[in-house]
Amino acid sequence: MSDNSILITDLLSLPATVDEVDYARRGYHLDVALTADRVRAMAETLLRHEFYLVFASAVDLAPDAEVVYQFARHGSPCRIMARAYVRRDGTVPTIADIYHGANWHERETKDMFGIRFAGHPYLQPLLLPEENAELKPLKKSEKSIKLPADVRWLPEEPAPAAPAAPAAPKAGGDTPTTPEQG
Amino acid sequence: MDISILPPELIRIVISAVIIIAFVFLNAMVLGYAERKLAGYIMRRPGPMEVGPQGILQLMIDGVKLIGKQLIVPKESGHALFRIAPLLAFIPVGLAFVVIPFSDKLQARDLDVGLVFMLAIMSVNVVAVLVAGWSSNNKYSLFGAIRSVAQNVAYEIPMLLSLLSVVLMANTLSLKGIVLAQHPVWYVVCQPLAFIIYFVAGLAETNRAPFDLPEAESELTAGFHTEYSGMSFSLFILAEYTNMFFVCSIAVVLFLGGWSGIPLPFYAYSGGIWFLLKVYALLFVMIWVRWTYPRVRFDQLLNFCWKYLIPFSLVNLMLTAILVKLWPVVF
Amino acid sequence: MTPEAAKQDKHTFVLNMGPQHPSTHGVMRVILEMDGEHILEPEPVLGYGHRIQEKMGEARPWPGFMPNTSRMDYLSAMIYNHGYVSLIERMTGIEVPRRAEFIRVITDELNRIQSHLLWLGAFLLDLGAFTPIMYTFDDREQILDILEDVTGSRLTYCYHRVGGVARDIDEKFVERTRAFIARLRSRFKPIYYDLVTSNIIFIKRVKDVVSFTPELARRYGLTGPPLRSTGISYDIRKNEPYSIYPEFDFEVPVGTKGDCLEVYNIRVAEMEQSLRIIEQALDRLPEGPFRNKIPRKVKLPQGDATFSVETARGELTYYLVSDGSDVPYRLKIRVPSFSNLSVLQELCRNMLLSDLVMSLGTLDLVIPEIDR
Repeated sequence: MSDNSILITDLLSLPATVDEVDYARRGYHLDVALTADRVRAMAETLLRHEFYLVFASAVDLAPDAEVVYQFARHGSPCRIMARAYVRRDGTVPTIADIYHGANWHERETKDMFGIRFAGHPYLQPLLLPEENAELKPLKKSEKSIKLPADVRWLPEEPAPAAPAAPAAPKAGGDTPTTPEQG
Repeated sequence: MDISILPPELIRIVISAVIIIAFVFLNAMVLGYAERKLAGYIMRRPGPMEVGPQGILQLMIDGVKLIGKQLIVPKESGHALFRIAPLLAFIPVGLAFVVIPFSDKLQARDLDVGLVFMLAIMSVNVVAVLVAGWSSNNKYSLFGAIRSVAQNVAYEIPMLLSLLSVVLMANTLSLKGIVLAQHPVWYVVCQPLAFIIYFVAGLAETNRAPFDLPEAESELTAGFHTEYSGMSFSLFILAEYTNMFFVCSIAVVLFLGGWSGIPLPFYAYSGGIWFLLKVYALLFVMIWVRWTYPRVRFDQLLNFCWKYLIPFSLVNLMLTAILVKLWPVVF
Repeated sequence: MTPEAAKQDKHTFVLNMGPQHPSTHGVMRVILEMDGEHILEPEPVLGYGHRIQEKMGEARPWPGFMPNTSRMDYLSAMIYNHGYVSLIERMTGIEVPRRAEFIRVITDELNRIQSHLLWLGAFLLDLGAFTPIMYTFDDREQILDILEDVTGSRLTYCYHRVGGVARDIDEKFVERTRAFIARLRSRFKPIYYDLVTSNIIFIKRVKDVVSFTPELARRYGLTGPPLRSTGISYDIRKNEPYSIYPEFDFEVPVGTKGDCLEVYNIRVAEMEQSLRIIEQALDRLPEGPFRNKIPRKVKLPQGDATFSVETARGELTYYLVSDGSDVPYRLKIRVPSFSNLSVLQELCRNMLLSDLVMSLGTLDLVIPEIDR
């Protein structure tokens, strides 16, 4: 736990907002929200804390899309979802020189969403063909696109209403997954 | 036509040539079948079973299929050389049969330099591989050719050195002479190291696993014969199998007493039968090795040759020379 | 950079390996900048088998994506099933009966063993040994037969269900699985050890060729046996345990140096550990229902969740964003081979062609998984 408190302090000083969330329900321990220009600082902090990059991708939302990064640690379990808002065809600083594995993830994100990564060494199509550069298959249409508030966990208030049934067994520790203390 | 007007020597040559070509094809068929059946046995599967009893006619059908296939010549290849290469691989294999002593009477020509002649003929194969790889104008083929040349040139040295030890003992280069010289004891007893070195180098010379780098399937798709199809491809395979036969027959002649053996019921043929039995026993070992070992890496292959085989064969040759000189003095 | 210097000084050339090449294990292409037999710069080219699975996941109600999960990594199909149903269960809070959890673990581990067996054969084939693949396929066939009996398919299973599994296993399954465990155990020593592991040529080929380091693994998100070969004991089954894995006694084999021989040894040891897990699960297999009744149409609650499982190749993570309907709003699938392959460029610089083939084999790639 002390390990995580140092980490949280470091993340807060980026600055970023850090929420400790219910692992059993969401599968990750920390929810980090930050601005796009702090992404590199976050990556450096997390690399220092010996995290590895699980994936980097995006979620297409209106008015701004969300670039999401998931990090995890080889030591004591800690999974981090980090998100930064960016214009739907905007630019985020690359972390491919900090986490080299991000290189391909960022190329794939560019393929699928059209989000560009500033400073990326080789931002060429990875999975999609080069010919059809306009095709952004995972972008949502105007009709189906949602606001960020539509895809967030609702605060405590509706818990007894919609996910009442799931909430009960979870409290009993009967979900398939054993909750892990970070 | 009255054939008596032809010189008898010419008739003899024609008949021998026909027999040799037939033997080359037959040998490839037998070996091809043996290889597939043995591979099957080693892998615990039946191997070819469909054509004929126990799949014995499979190779015949394969031959017909290969003859019927179109010869594809890549547009960018060197056309003339591309067509010449398979012939260059195949023709020398006929020549080498001239000196092989199948038995004391069954030998076309007993040349004084029989061993040198045979080795010289066998090394023409490298040229064929190089020409094939070069003219295919394909990088994988070229890789195969380069590897083949480097490998064959390197492995010819320990091969010759180990054979030289035997020649020193027999005091002749004639193959028949060498067989006769091993009268009470076969040379494999006096020269076990030379035999092992020769056999390993022989595996490398014939590009057999674990030294099959020129056609390493997982790396070079098919190596030097990537672009060959149909009969031109099968000529390479025929040449490969025949070269295996030569490597083993040299081993039999120089180390395993040639045709000598306990007389069999058909006394007249006993020598020939013994000779072929020994050759095919060695070929069996070659096949066995192929289906057991993984492939070595290229630098390991050359290191093995230059750092182990050549020094050991040199030492062996030196010891042989000294012993041969000292033997009459001491006893 | 060395490749740049070499390009100017020497005669280099480009060798195109794939998309049709025996050693890329699928439709993948590696463009190699070569100097003789040495590789200056390998550049993997992906996407030949891209089917945009993520979009398919976002285009239909979540149960409709179940069959797709088994068509990414066709060798770990069962584990992909498991990850997806567990993610849905995590979001909706649907419970799984205990018997179903046991069945899931047993089928997962059988699936893992067959994947490792196939890898073992294919890896040796890359090294030029033709025989082991026949032996491993012989063993693998037993698993496929066992699983075919209960799931109806041999490779692309769609067996796990939200709230349980599709069909119950019977006495016959248990018997056959026990027989298989005994059979495979009896074959490790005489076949795999004597033929392969103790072979001098094999050892010389794979020892000390590449070196995976913990630092490299972190930078690239390397997971699975290559990561464990560096000495990091990281297995999702242990580190973020899911299902009922904490109840079983098994070890996570690790290496020290991070070379290909260790990756090989780890995979072989993992097969033995999987056998142990299966054996324990069969011993303790509880009676009871194999599936809970769930409503016809289950909506996913609004929000996002992620679920990671350990496939035969490494960490598989599903990340699902839901807007409250039964159609996922965003489904991201993080596949292990994708990150594992991205190491290639750094790992295989200045390497021999044969070693590149061997390294590709070590990473145990399934190309449709990378392309998705």
